[in-house]
Amino acid sequence: MSTETVLRPGWKVPIILGVFSLASLLLFLLSGRQGISVFRLSSSGEAVQLPALELPVMASGIVISVLLIGLAGFSAYRVTRAQRTPLYVIVIFGVLFMVGLLVWAFVDATLPVTGLLTGTVALSAPIIYGALGGVISERVGVVNIAIEGQLLAGAFTSAVVASVTRNPFLGLGAAMIAGMLVSFVLAAFSIKYLVDQVIVGVVLNVLVLGLTSFFFSQVLSEDKQLLNSPPRFDKLPIPFLSDIPVIGPVLFNQTVIIYIMYVAVALVYYGLFHTKWGLRVRAVGEHPTAADTVGIAVNRTRFWNVSLAGAVAGLGGAFFTLGSVGSFQKEMTAGLGFIALAAVIFGRWDPIRATLAALLFGFATNLQNVLGIIGSPIPSEFMLMLPYIVTIIAVAGLVGQVRGPAAAGKPYVKA
Amino acid sequence: MNKLPRIALGLGLAGVLIGLAACQQAPQPVETPEATTDYCARMVTNSGGLDDRSFNQSTWEGLQQAEKTLGIEATALVSTNETDLSPNVQQAVESGCQMVVTVGWELAEATATEAAANPDTHFVIVDEVVDAPNVKPLVFQTAEASYLAGYLAAGVSKTGIVATFGGDAQPPVTLFMDGFVGGVAAYNAAHGTDVRALGWNAETQQGSFTGDYEDVSKGKTLAQGFIDQGADVILPVAAQVGEGAAAAALDNGNVMIIWVDNDGFETLPSEYRSIVLTSVLKNTGTAIQDIVSDDLAGQFTSDAFIGTLKNQGVDIAPYHDQAVAVSEELGAEIDQLRQDIISGAVLVESPSAL
Repeated sequence: MSTETVLRPGWKVPIILGVFSLASLLLFLLSGRQGISVFRLSSSGEAVQLPALELPVMASGIVISVLLIGLAGFSAYRVTRAQRTPLYVIVIFGVLFMVGLLVWAFVDATLPVTGLLTGTVALSAPIIYGALGGVISERVGVVNIAIEGQLLAGAFTSAVVASVTRNPFLGLGAAMIAGMLVSFVLAAFSIKYLVDQVIVGVVLNVLVLGLTSFFFSQVLSEDKQLLNSPPRFDKLPIPFLSDIPVIGPVLFNQTVIIYIMYVAVALVYYGLFHTKWGLRVRAVGEHPTAADTVGIAVNRTRFWNVSLAGAVAGLGGAFFTLGSVGSFQKEMTAGLGFIALAAVIFGRWDPIRATLAALLFGFATNLQNVLGIIGSPIPSEFMLMLPYIVTIIAVAGLVGQVRGPAAAGKPYVKA
Repeated sequence: MNKLPRIALGLGLAGVLIGLAACQQAPQPVETPEATTDYCARMVTNSGGLDDRSFNQSTWEGLQQAEKTLGIEATALVSTNETDLSPNVQQAVESGCQMVVTVGWELAEATATEAAANPDTHFVIVDEVVDAPNVKPLVFQTAEASYLAGYLAAGVSKTGIVATFGGDAQPPVTLFMDGFVGGVAAYNAAHGTDVRALGWNAETQQGSFTGDYEDVSKGKTLAQGFIDQGADVILPVAAQVGEGAAAAALDNGNVMIIWVDNDGFETLPSEYRSIVLTSVLKNTGTAIQDIVSDDLAGQFTSDAFIGTLKNQGVDIAPYHDQAVAVSEELGAEIDQLRQDIISGAVLVESPSAL
């Protein structure tokens, strides 16, 4: 997995893992919580019923803490051998730590595992689409701050078009076109007119926000039934796969938009790293002069791929309306485009990792929800910070220094 | 190659221009009919805008009604973000109108400043208290109505679990939640049942919040979380984010929601009609009309108008399609409870109450 050349792996990762495993041990020993946490793995309507897991808090806590300390020790051992800690160790550590936290928090309460994970997918979907758009755009060398605007334009257009035509698929197409239109402006200004890409992106976000809010209050509110009551996508369970316990209802009993998302993540990953198209995209983003000398039309490649990025992000916008609630609302993307931007960087401009970053954020948001519901002793204002705190710890603590495509943000002028 | 970006820019801008041209013909809701007196009122919205299906909208509807019945002239100044608030209030005052109506706690500071500088102008502030001789606060004891809603929810719940959540922990929001939880407790005390209310702890004043009033998906997943815990009646106090709860309820079946501020049966998209149990109403419009009418008669005071069950400033909406779920006895108990609250026999308490 690691193509980066790091000469001496530092002690940062084992130290962070060590601190978290000690925190986990202390949490269980000092709080002295006794009782049983119930993890419900199946909900009533499912074909295969798994029995609920009943975990005794103290015993599970100690087992988990010991495992965590073991993983931290393994990481330290790797460092003494001048080897990096593999990503899977960090992922296993994170999952174990989370299970421990949940066992502790849900003492004498029931945790609906499928509900927690289904909500995670729903909350992450627009971020994943936005991050894919960001990855494509930045890989080809154009910084895409306008993800928020592309999401919002997609949400607005899909709601209106689907509502007027009564066909959600047309709405989906319209969302892609709307995202592309925003991208056109970004591409034209940054590629042709060499305007600073960050500034164009920020201005576009404000423009789309203003336009959609204006149309929402001046036009859509005039005839909500005609213009702003789109049909929603129905859930489309995939035969057999949706009957798998836990994973089935979470991943394979979803709407079309989510299935398209799985395909999009796979396609972008495969395309970027295993096709001629991807090679060209990355060449243009890393070293446009070199790409030019071998005959790649740099600016045309940038233009069309930024447009593609807009179309992908636009699809994410459609999730807010057609995939989630239906009608468009003012400012309904609520800054998730910027979280998507963070996911791009956190994911090191890699579609799979950016998707994992988006899922982490969605999970933390929904975890905050379920903890709030059973009544956590932490004030709600702090609980609402949880997704952001998790993101900061993950970015600052585990990712560290990252390097984007070398030519991102720099317009290419043929000498 | 050279042409490509230009065509693109053209396409992008053309879309914008077509849109802008289209709104030229769009009817302007802030247009004013001919005035029959020289009395005029200016309203300043908070960042929610006029179509927030909440207090901005109901205040504006009240003023529009006053235009018709009292022959005054009214115009709304729409704030789109926090920096618009103070200039808009200033502009409203400079119009020379006798009355300036500001909506929401965000406008408290601007209202206080302008009220001190313009002692002859009459101000009304909705949902907030500003203490000045020429400012009339318009506030609501929504806890009284949501107490009824909580009692009702506990009565119709089949799973014995109901839930509420808010947009953020502001007193006008938690006031609803306090009342709701109080109503559930009252039902339990009266019937010896053990209906649980999730999402708000009245003692610790802690509960579930979405943290914003924009992202409807958050409302949907949070509501789904409650449904996973067994809740079958949900009261979202989060403006448009509450629509997410309605979507979650519709997806699950057998779950109902209680809308706030206005009658959700009328204001929500029609697909949600079947799941609206009732709504906690804040009759801002009627109150505004009364205040304007008093001012016209020269009877403006700075005493707060407090909307209660007694003066019909707050209430719960009819059950509409869900009337079948409300048994006759339960309906009678609710009516009795309403009388008891009006007479003072039952006290609805909340730290957020005014």
